[in-house]
Amino acid sequence: MSLEQEAGALSLPTRGPRRLGRTAALVAVLLAVVVLAVGLGSVTIPPGEVLGALWRGLSGADLAGNDVIVWQIRLPRVAMGVVVGACLAVCGGAFQGVFRNPLADPYLLGVASGAGLGATVGIVAGWPRASIPLVALGAALGAVALTLGLAREGRRFPPTRLILAGVVVGSILSAFSTFLILRGEDRARQVLAYTLGDLGFSGWRDVATVLPYAVVGCGVLVLLGRALDTLGLGDLTARSLGVPVERLRLLVVIAASVATAAAVAYVGIIGFVGLIVPHVVRLAWGASHRILLPVSALLGGALLVLADLLARTTILSQVGVVTTLLGGPFFLWLLRRGRHE
Amino acid sequence: MKTLLTLTAVTLALSAAAGATSYPLTLTDDLGRKVTLKAEPKRIISVLPSTTETLCALGLCDRLVGVDDYSDFPQQVTKLPKVGGLYNPNIEAMVALKPDLVIVSKYGKLVEPLTQAGVTVLAINPETYDEVFSKTLTLGRVVNREAQAKGLVLNMRRDIARVEILTKNAVRKPTTYLEIDPTPYSVGPNSFMGVLLTKAGARNIIPASMGDFPKVDPEFIVKANPQLMLGLDARAAAGRPGWNSIQAVKTGRALEIPKELDTILSRPGPRLPQALRGLARLVHPELFK
Repeated sequence: MSLEQEAGALSLPTRGPRRLGRTAALVAVLLAVVVLAVGLGSVTIPPGEVLGALWRGLSGADLAGNDVIVWQIRLPRVAMGVVVGACLAVCGGAFQGVFRNPLADPYLLGVASGAGLGATVGIVAGWPRASIPLVALGAALGAVALTLGLAREGRRFPPTRLILAGVVVGSILSAFSTFLILRGEDRARQVLAYTLGDLGFSGWRDVATVLPYAVVGCGVLVLLGRALDTLGLGDLTARSLGVPVERLRLLVVIAASVATAAAVAYVGIIGFVGLIVPHVVRLAWGASHRILLPVSALLGGALLVLADLLARTTILSQVGVVTTLLGGPFFLWLLRRGRHE
Repeated sequence: MKTLLTLTAVTLALSAAAGATSYPLTLTDDLGRKVTLKAEPKRIISVLPSTTETLCALGLCDRLVGVDDYSDFPQQVTKLPKVGGLYNPNIEAMVALKPDLVIVSKYGKLVEPLTQAGVTVLAINPETYDEVFSKTLTLGRVVNREAQAKGLVLNMRRDIARVEILTKNAVRKPTTYLEIDPTPYSVGPNSFMGVLLTKAGARNIIPASMGDFPKVDPEFIVKANPQLMLGLDARAAAGRPGWNSIQAVKTGRALEIPKELDTILSRPGPRLPQALRGLARLVHPELFK
């Protein structure tokens, strides 16, 4: 974290009103994106009909035609987009804070490659579709446990060792996945689709499964916002201010990994949201984690729903492709712009 | 010298009469390369299952000295040395088999290293329905079995027509969704599988504008509400959000494609008529009692 950002973090109260306006605008954007995404798709449904379908679904009436599309396909898909986007953005923000590394993303400790390996094993072996997320979830958590085990130094978890162990565990697991894909060529497309992230068949049951992990994981991170801010001043300073640095770091890693693992298990590996959203928020709202994390959740949710809308209405067709193709250049533009200011 | 001239004249006369190929033969392959075969190939490696099947259907199974990992028909090719797949081809093994011709697909990166090793490489890659026939003829010319290739194509067309006569007059043609990959991917009407589906007496719900093998938005299929779904069983279909409202699921007309048929269906080769027959049986079981 730069000096400028630290100053920003410490001088927060003076910029309150402007930030509030921006946050209100962001909430409005999220709502607008959700409404847009429910109405648009390979079948366009006018807003009136969307509302009608919502009402019929809530009142327990029989669903038919477009009602089914709105209520059983698009809404859960959009909801999943909000939950997963929020998860990735919050976990990315927390990781960047706790590791004091601007390149940190939610997959830093091997969650993605673990989930990827689990899913690949299941897909190549031809296991039933419903079992894939569970295998992926287990493997993702296993990968983080492995990273933590390898990085441990007595009772401490030094950040550099964590990052290095995460990168290496990730590479090894990815190599295993690649090996399996090559042996099961005819299922390669399914594995690829998973690896690029796909909200395609998200149903209410999937949303309900991911939601508790997301709420608990992200909730813990948001509550730890103030402690994360203190950690930003350096381990020594934080310790002298009474922050239990090691325990805090471990808690953040576990909370973020659980939330990310659940999200990845159900929708695959969606790149870039977790990396760029916290940075964008930091530029506009400042670096205090108490603000950064909840605002990242809003922006991450909106961004992923928008990306998925583009994925299903354009030829880009995979949400992970959209987030990277649009998010990447946008982020670079933002970086350059920031430099000139 | 004179005998050579006479021989050439005789060969030419024969080729005109019986359709024999004269070598050296130069032709443009499916990668747009000009390839010259100095003589009739005797040691052939095929790295495409459909090519393997075509060569065997032309009676040249015994000229194959190696095949890719996926070639498994007819039975006798399973005993041949395996030379890898599209993503992990074993170039050393190919060269060691001393082939005088390797027939590859358009995809993969075999052409350059094999050519550098002094092996003649030809890319023949049928993709559309019509190409299945035209490439069979090309292949026949390459291996000096032009007449047999013409015969094979005639037989295939006749067998296909026999099925079409049955399905053409079917009373009701079900709207159909054919799934080739659960991500989900389907087939457009202009792909060779799509053509077969139509010939089998089904109405494909995928419009030509979506392409030959499009990734499909699940809600599009719900909206299209097909009467028949092929490629996934009823349980898998009903497990997807919103899909239990689809007619095919409600009436129990979501059918898995049997493994054997699925393999034949994915190969643009001489078993096209069998693929069509199998597909027609699924679409119109009442016609095949």
